[in-house]
Amino acid sequence: MSSPGSTPDPRPASPDGSRARDLLARKWGYLLSGAEMIPLTAEELERELREQLDVLCAVLTRDPLDLAAVERVGGHVVSLGHVGEDGLRHTAEVLAAGLPALPEFQPAGAHADRITRAIGALATGFLVANRRSVLEQQERMQLSLLKAVRDAKWNLKESQARFDEVVTSSASGIVIVGVDGGLIRVNSAICDILDLTAGELIDKTLFDLVDPGTVGKLRAAMLAVVEGRQDRVRQSQRLVRRNGDVARISLTASLLRDADGEPGHFVVVVEDGTELVLLQSELNRQALNDVLTGLPNRQFFSSYLEGAVRRADPVHGVTLLHLDLDAFGMVCDSLGWRTGERLLVHVGQRLKSLLALEKAMVARFDGDEFGILVENTAATPDIATIAAAVNRELAEPLYVDGRGLALSASIGVARGSARDQDHTELLRAADQALRRAKAERRGQWVLFDPNQDTAARSTHALAVGMPGAWEQGELSVRYRPVVRLSDGVVDGVEAVLLWEGPQRPVAHERCVELAEMTGLILPLGEWLLGTAAGQVRWWGQGGGVAPPLTVAVTAHQASDADLVSRVVRVLENTGLRADRLVVGVPVGVVAVPEAADNLGVLAEMGVRTALEDFGLGPDDLAAAQGFGVRSVRVAKRLVDLGTGRGAGFANVLIPVLHETGVLIAVDGVTTEAQATWWRDRGADVATGPHFGPDQPAAAFYEGLQVHL
Amino acid sequence: MVQQEWIPRSVDVSVPSMARTYDFLLGGAHNFAVDRELAVHVSRVMPDARSAARVNRAFLGRAVRFMTDRGVRQFLDIGSGIPTVANVHEVAQAEFPESRVVYVDKDPVAVAHSELLLADNDRATIVHADMRDPESILDHPETRDLLDLDQPVGLLMLMMLHWVPDADDPWELTARYRDALAPGSHLAITHVTADGQDERLSEVTGLIEESRSADRLTERPHHRVRALFGDFELVEPGLVGCAAWRPAGRGDISDTSEMNTVIYGGVARKP
Ligand SMILES: C[S@@+](CC[C@H](N)C(=O)[O-])C[C@H]1O[C@@H](n2cnc3c(N)ncnc32)[C@H](O)[C@@H]1O
Repeated sequence: MSSPGSTPDPRPASPDGSRARDLLARKWGYLLSGAEMIPLTAEELERELREQLDVLCAVLTRDPLDLAAVERVGGHVVSLGHVGEDGLRHTAEVLAAGLPALPEFQPAGAHADRITRAIGALATGFLVANRRSVLEQQERMQLSLLKAVRDAKWNLKESQARFDEVVTSSASGIVIVGVDGGLIRVNSAICDILDLTAGELIDKTLFDLVDPGTVGKLRAAMLAVVEGRQDRVRQSQRLVRRNGDVARISLTASLLRDADGEPGHFVVVVEDGTELVLLQSELNRQALNDVLTGLPNRQFFSSYLEGAVRRADPVHGVTLLHLDLDAFGMVCDSLGWRTGERLLVHVGQRLKSLLALEKAMVARFDGDEFGILVENTAATPDIATIAAAVNRELAEPLYVDGRGLALSASIGVARGSARDQDHTELLRAADQALRRAKAERRGQWVLFDPNQDTAARSTHALAVGMPGAWEQGELSVRYRPVVRLSDGVVDGVEAVLLWEGPQRPVAHERCVELAEMTGLILPLGEWLLGTAAGQVRWWGQGGGVAPPLTVAVTAHQASDADLVSRVVRVLENTGLRADRLVVGVPVGVVAVPEAADNLGVLAEMGVRTALEDFGLGPDDLAAAQGFGVRSVRVAKRLVDLGTGRGAGFANVLIPVLHETGVLIAVDGVTTEAQATWWRDRGADVATGPHFGPDQPAAAFYEGLQVHL
Repeated sequence: MVQQEWIPRSVDVSVPSMARTYDFLLGGAHNFAVDRELAVHVSRVMPDARSAARVNRAFLGRAVRFMTDRGVRQFLDIGSGIPTVANVHEVAQAEFPESRVVYVDKDPVAVAHSELLLADNDRATIVHADMRDPESILDHPETRDLLDLDQPVGLLMLMMLHWVPDADDPWELTARYRDALAPGSHLAITHVTADGQDERLSEVTGLIEESRSADRLTERPHHRVRALFGDFELVEPGLVGCAAWRPAGRGDISDTSEMNTVIYGGVARKP
C-alpha cells in the first residue's frame, strides 16, 4: 500500500491554483450546459462545479484515495438537471485534460494514475445516480399513467368493440348494468364467481346478486354517483353464490354518461383486488411485454430463460434462437416505420403460432430482433427443421397496408443442456451465432444507407413489393438457350425469372438483384429451381430431348445452410436426375465456408456445379480447380475481351483453364463476332441475347424441336 | 394486436405523446418506449433536435424571470407538458415563493403527472383542459381560486400553438385569452417555424403524421406567429429565434444555427 513517502504533497491551492480551478470549473460548466438541460444560470452552475472540483482536488491530494467521495461528486453532477451520457462524456474529457494541468498536480505524470482512478470513480458514481434517477422518473411515470387511466372517463359507445373484447376475456367479473341496476351484459368470469349461467342472470338486477345485508350501501353509493355527488363506487361487497355461500369481493362501479351527459350505464368490475391492483397488473404485464407486439420483452425472456435452463430436460436441453429480420430497415425506409411496426406485429404472431405446439416462448428483443426459447422434448424437431420452418413461415407474404411483404431472418442458434449453464452465456452465444450468420453474407447484401437517393428508394419499394407480386402470380419462369459454340446447337437450358412488374417487365438479372436485397431469393430461388426442374423432367418424359438445366444461384443462396436440402427436395419431387442439373455459384462467394461446403456436397451428389461470374484472375483459376466444379461461366463484363487489350491475356489463360478439365461457358453474348472469338479461343458453350430471347416453356420447347 | 383495451384511447401507451417525446429530447425519462422511438426517428432526421428542445426550455426560464422582474407573480402556463426540469413554478417560486402558477394541458398522463408532482404545493395546480376552449380554462374553479385576473398575469404558451391548426383559428383563440387579462400582463410564445429551415423540418412533420399520434405540427412564418400577440407590445428584441431572445449563457443556445432559429420566441406586454 502507500507509504508516507509516496503521499503527494498536499500543496494548498495558491492564488494561481485557485484561478486555474475557476477556469476549469467554467470550462466544465460551459461544456455541460451546451449539452444538457440544466436549470441553472451560468454563474450558478460554475459555482456548483467549482465546489465539486475542490472536493475532487482535496481527495486527490490525500491518501488513501477516497473513491467514495469522488463517486458522490459524480452523483452530484447528475442531480444538477437532466444530465446523461453527453454530460458524462464532457465531464470525463474536461477533467482528464484539466486536472493534470492544475498547478497543484505538477509534475503532471506523478498524479496521472490517481487522476485516472478518480475519473473512473466519478463515472461510476455518475452512472449509479443516473440509473437511479431514470428509474425514479419511470416509476413516477407509471404512477401517472395509472392515475390518468383511473381518472379518464371512457365512453362506452366509442369503445364498444374493444370493450366487448376485454369484457369477454377479462379474468375479473364485469357486469354492465342500467342506472336502475338491471343487468345488461355479463361476462363469463362473473358467472364463475356466482356459479350461475348467463341464462340464469337474465332479468336480474345487480341488487339481486348482493348480500341483503350490504345491498343498501351499494344502492346509496350508486345513487350518489348518478346525482354527481360522487365519482364512482368502490366498495368491498358480498355476493351470494348459487349455493348460498357469500363471495367477498371488491366492487367498482363507474358511470358512463352518454353523448349528452346523461347517465347511461354502470360498468361494474368485480375482483378480489381493487381496480388499481387490476390496472397495476396490466401495467406490470406491459413492463414485461413489448408494447408493440405484446410479446415478452428481452428482460422477461432473459429471466424466464434462467429458470428454463435450470429445469431443462437433461437429455434434450433447451434451444435458443436469436432472429434478426433481413432487410427490415429497408422496409421501414421505403414504406414508413408504421408499416414496419405492423410487420413486426405480424411476424410476432406468426412465430408464436408456428411454435404453438412446442413448449416455446417467443419474445421481441429490440428493433427487428426476436428471441425464441424452445424447451426440448424427445418430440421436438431438430434445429434445422425449426429454423427452416421459421423462414418458410416468414417467406409467406404478409399483407400490410395492402402490400404483400415477405421477409427472411438470419438466425443464431445456441443449445443449452447443462443445468448449471449460465443463461446469459447462452444468450451471448446465440447472439454471436447471429452476428456470424449475418457477417458471412456481408458484401452480398445491400445495406441500408440512410443517405440513399430517391432512385434507391424506389428500388427498395420495388424490392419489398416483390413477394406480394410473386404470390399474385406476377412472376414466371422463362427459358434461355445454352448454345454449343462449335455448331450452334442448343445444348442446355437456363431457367430465369420474369416479373410482369408494376410499370414494365422486370428482367431476370434485376429480379434476382431485388430478391437478393430482401432475402426473398431463398424461397423464390427454390421455386424457380423446382418449377424449371419439373418442366425439364416433363420434356424428358415425353420421349423428347431434355437439355440439362442450368440454374445460377446468388451469393445469398450459395451460402444458405439449406441450399443442399432445397436441391435434394427439388430433385426428389420432380424426379430430375442430379447429373441433369447444373448449379452455378458466383465465384466470389467460394471463400465463404458455407458456400464451399455447399459446392462440395452438391458435387458429391452428382449435381454438376459451375462457377458463375468467372473473372479469369488467379483466384478464380484456383477456385476452378478446387471445388470439383464441372464448368465455369465467364462474366458478362468480359465478353468483349477479344476487342480490348486483354486479348493477349485471355489467349494465355484460357488454355490454362482448359487444362484443369472444366468446361468453359461465356455469358452475355450479343453478337456473332463475340461468339466466334470465344469459339476460336476454345470456349464450349455460351448464353446471351444473340441466341434468342428468354421464352415461356412451350415456345422454348417448340424452338428446340425445330432446331433438332 | 395485443393491447391494453382496459386503458382508454386517450391514455393509450402505444401512441406517442408530444409531451413525453419532448421530455425525452430534454434528457428526461418521463416517457414510454413509443415516445422514445419517435424521438429517435426525429433525431435521425434532425440530429440536433435535442438542442432545440433544450434551447426552448431555457427560453422558458428567461421569460419567467423577465416577468417576475417586472412584478408578475401569477402565471398561467398552457400546454405545460410533463413537469421536467426548470418548471415555471420552480423558476418563479425560487425567487418569489408567493408566486402562483396554474398549469394547463390536454394530455391526461401529463396532467396526472403534474397532479402528483404538485400534490403538496398549494400555490401551483394543474387543470385538465383543451386550450381551444378558453372559457373552460379561464373560468375553471382552480384558475379562479389561484389567480386574480384583475392583476397582471404571465401567460405562457410555449411549444404549444403549433399544435393548433389554422382551422381552429389560434389567432382568435389567443385574442380571447389576451382580452381576459389585466393591463401589465405578459404573454410569452414559442412556436416552430419553417423560415430558414431546409426539408428536414418537413420530414419531421411527416414523421409525426406517420406516427399514431393524432397531433399535427403546423409550423408558421414570422408574421403569422407575430399576429398571435395581437395588440400586446413585444419587448426587445421582438419575435426572434428563441435562442437569440436575451441569451445569458451557453445553455441558452445551440451549436447548430438551424436549431437556434427553428423556434420563434417572444414576450409581449399588455398596455
Ligand atoms: C412540447 S410540450 C411543451 C411543454 C412546455 N410548454 C415547454 O415549452 O417546455 C407541448 C404541450 O402542449 C400540449 N397541448 C397541445 N395542444 C394542446 C391543446 N389544444 N390544449 C392544451 N394543451 C395542448 C401537449 O399536450 C403538450 O404537453
